[in-house]
Amino acid sequence: MQALRTAATGMAAQQLNVEVISNNIANMNTVAFKRQRAEFEDLLYQTLETPGAQSSDTGTVVPTGVQIGGGVKAGSVYRITEQGATTRTDNQYDLAIQGRGYFQVLLPSGETAYTRAGNLSPNDQGQLVTPDGYLVQPTITIPQGTTQVTISKTGQVQVSQQGQTAPTVVGQLQLATFLNEGGLDAQGDNLFLESAASGAATLATPGSPGVGTLLQGYTEASNVDAVSEITALIVAQRAYEMNSKVVTTADQMLATASQVKS
Amino acid sequence: MDNTMYVTLSRQMVLHRELDIVANNIANADTAGFKLEDMMTRADQAAPAKTVGLNAPVTFVMDDGVARDFKQGALNATGAPLDLAIDGKGFFTVNTAGGPRYTRDGRFKLDETGKIVTQDGNAVQGGGGDIVLDPAKGPISIAENGVISQAGQKVGQVDVVSFDDLSALSKDGNNLFRNTTNVQPQPTTAAKIRQGSLEGSNVQTLTQITRLIEINRAYESMTNIMSQTSDLSRRSIQRLGSVN
Repeated sequence: MQALRTAATGMAAQQLNVEVISNNIANMNTVAFKRQRAEFEDLLYQTLETPGAQSSDTGTVVPTGVQIGGGVKAGSVYRITEQGATTRTDNQYDLAIQGRGYFQVLLPSGETAYTRAGNLSPNDQGQLVTPDGYLVQPTITIPQGTTQVTISKTGQVQVSQQGQTAPTVVGQLQLATFLNEGGLDAQGDNLFLESAASGAATLATPGSPGVGTLLQGYTEASNVDAVSEITALIVAQRAYEMNSKVVTTADQMLATASQVKS
Repeated sequence: MDNTMYVTLSRQMVLHRELDIVANNIANADTAGFKLEDMMTRADQAAPAKTVGLNAPVTFVMDDGVARDFKQGALNATGAPLDLAIDGKGFFTVNTAGGPRYTRDGRFKLDETGKIVTQDGNAVQGGGGDIVLDPAKGPISIAENGVISQAGQKVGQVDVVSFDDLSALSKDGNNLFRNTTNVQPQPTTAAKIRQGSLEGSNVQTLTQITRLIEINRAYESMTNIMSQTSDLSRRSIQRLGSVN
């Protein structure tokens, strides 16, 4: 009975939907988290009678045919990369990216990862690192005796040191942009890797055309909207319930059929 | 006597298919751009079969076709710049390996070369070909007539086409429709593109659940007729066949 399997695909799809929604809600307060959306597509159709097929020798055609669908599948889980709100933290090492772009992070494996989470801090050697201790590329070292760090909109890092009047430039941050940000390969820890779908990274100075600018003392909040997630959760639960009703109906029909022969 | 069995059986077979269609509608109640379907049935007269004594023909139930309801689904705002909904009649054209396909599911994105694609990676068509954008040029804005602009400059066009005869369309899965005739769709200006919105499925779950109940009960009553008929033949055999 096709209906049983169709309803099962519907239930599986809604289960995936709830998993995606729950991950969004769980990461509501994760810095620079981008919400995801499960996207559904209908499955292949079984054509019992082809629409447009000739139904007689005189050339009459079947108007619509009989096509029976096999249910639903998850096409993809799409990441919506729209800008999150910026949150003021007053921490001089916190950076929010306004616009397109990712910070580059050197993983211990030697690979380069990308992140928009700008909650950075200096390590024991004064180098700027992510909360996991991975180096931000290009490496920026804050010298000892620094009283204040200023990071400009265009990514220039300047430090003021004791006994000096003029600030010194210690480095220049760069942002990587991708043609298809949604295609980046999420690694957890707010990190992404380049993939075939994302296209190659293009490095640029913040503030150059088409690249975002930096905002010191702020972090980018997640772009999860609690209300729309909860609404989506309600829809998913009801859709799951309704698919289970189809299973019950198909089951009852089968039971009725088997009662004929008593 | 056997006619009753076959007539009820024909109804039950159609009910099975109706259930399959309702199940597919419910499974896709949350699929963007999905269009509701329903089974059409017809009475099929079995020419030689006649009821005994009376000259009334026996008619079977046949599945005649699937009716597709192309009514507009509700538009849901999503805020994503490449989520496009068609407000009115029309379809987006998508280039697939098997030729052009048509869809109302506007969940588009850019691929690694900057081309606007569907979630399966098939290129959306506009202005006679694929649409390639450079996101670095600025935020993408798409007007109601499909004109794509970045920073005030026109950079492309999303096509919306319409069919005079919607029954020419066959469903291909993946939210795509295939044109089964040689009649080419025509560009339309009657439909408006809404950027940052998606067209939801037009399945009304309440009516679908009601259909489920209907199908279930109809199936049950057919089964009852069947068992009563078989009861009748059993009893007649017992009575008429008893020797005394």
